[in-house]
Amino acid sequence: MSHTYNNLVIYNGYPISIVVAVTFHSVVLAALIYFQANSKPQTLNLVQPTVIKALLIDENPQLRNERILERQRLERLEQQRIARDREQQTQRDADAEAERLRQRSALIERRELERLQAERLQREREQLDQDQLAREAEQRRQRELADAEQQRLRQQVADDAAAIEVARTEFELMQSGTALIQQVVQDNWSRPPSARNGMQAILRIEMLPTGEVTSVTITKSSNDPAFDRSAETAVYRAAPFRELRALPINVFNANFRTFSLIFEPEDLLN
Amino acid sequence: MNDGINPLQLVLDASPAVLFVYLILMLSSVVSWVMIVQRWLVLSSANRGVESFEQRFWSGMDLSQLYKEGSQMQKENMQVVGMENLFRAGFREFMRLRQQGSVDKEAIMEGAQRAMRVAYAREEAKLDKHLSFLATVGSVAPYVGLFGTVIGIMNSFLGLANQAQATLQVVAPGIAEALLATAMGLFAAIPAVVAYNRYSSTVDSITGSYITFSDEFSSILHRQIHTG
Repeated sequence: MSHTYNNLVIYNGYPISIVVAVTFHSVVLAALIYFQANSKPQTLNLVQPTVIKALLIDENPQLRNERILERQRLERLEQQRIARDREQQTQRDADAEAERLRQRSALIERRELERLQAERLQREREQLDQDQLAREAEQRRQRELADAEQQRLRQQVADDAAAIEVARTEFELMQSGTALIQQVVQDNWSRPPSARNGMQAILRIEMLPTGEVTSVTITKSSNDPAFDRSAETAVYRAAPFRELRALPINVFNANFRTFSLIFEPEDLLN
Repeated sequence: MNDGINPLQLVLDASPAVLFVYLILMLSSVVSWVMIVQRWLVLSSANRGVESFEQRFWSGMDLSQLYKEGSQMQKENMQVVGMENLFRAGFREFMRLRQQGSVDKEAIMEGAQRAMRVAYAREEAKLDKHLSFLATVGSVAPYVGLFGTVIGIMNSFLGLANQAQATLQVVAPGIAEALLATAMGLFAAIPAVVAYNRYSSTVDSITGSYITFSDEFSSILHRQIHTG
């Protein structure tokens, strides 16, 4: 008989269907969340945006030159330090040599005295005491000298590290300033019809610490007068670069008072 | 957990439009599963009902006895379904017309057949119920998911426009949340399509057996009216 089946159809099976469907979805959701939480997305962590940063630096010859100059400066500093070290070493050697000579001559003198005034023990003893004292004083002096030297070397290493740190932050500030100027200039650039991809003009911009532009000259033309003129106009339109006021004055003076801008818009369609 | 993105957090952080799409898809998935389970119960019970009734019908039992059994079942609050309804509708009409002393045998036959046709239409409607919903979910859910994906990707690109430095970390959560919408659309659509295809073929086979039965039953009635 079909009574049991018919009973199911009396309810039309709705309550049990709802329970089954909701349970099924809960189980699927819980499983998804559980597996997602337990899986370790290590491959994703390998992808770092530093690649993008490196590309930006590499493509800008100006920045590359700056970096090379920076490295050369650091190398020079290092060489100077080494030379100074060597000089000090030779100085120390010479000092020691002189000291030895002095001691030897003192010894000779003492022997002379010994030979000449053998009977005068009292004086001889006094002489010996004096020598002893002098030697001790000399040793102490040398130790102090060595300590001072070591102290100075440590100080110098710390100074060099600080200099490198300062150079790095300066470099970053300079980089962000350059990127900002390029961005703003490109935003204010209206494209002449003759502009093509790969065109490049180098402009020398003279600026005041307030970010105002005093003059713009083209140092390397793109061989397209319209393009050059448009770049120049874009700089004037973008001025003043108020954001540069936030830079430390030494960074500004070193990098932005006369600033060489490589104008090369890259997002053209042809 | 700390370095990856928490999927739950991803869902909760989604923009309102995408969240709305998630909700629609989740709801339609749940409802379509309710329909799937409920249809499965109804269709399997109808299948068994066909089997058991055909067995009783062809066991050589007296037809009025069979009819009385059905009435007894109805009194006990048990629903009479499927083929038995067809039989009861035809038989009731046949007996009623005969008792009214109608002379026209063809009119009696026609009345019984009409009653069976009506019962058949009612039974078919019962079986077909909700199947169109499954078909709709199966065909529309992927589009809804795609819509959510497009909106989500659009949002994440809009967010990208506000960033000075475009990194993968800025776009990735937005795109992940957008792709989740497509995944949910497919998750809702695939079972619905499979269930729709399966159930519509089952409904076809059951209604086919109803039609066969009503033909056979009317031939029995025809024989009875012409011999009796």
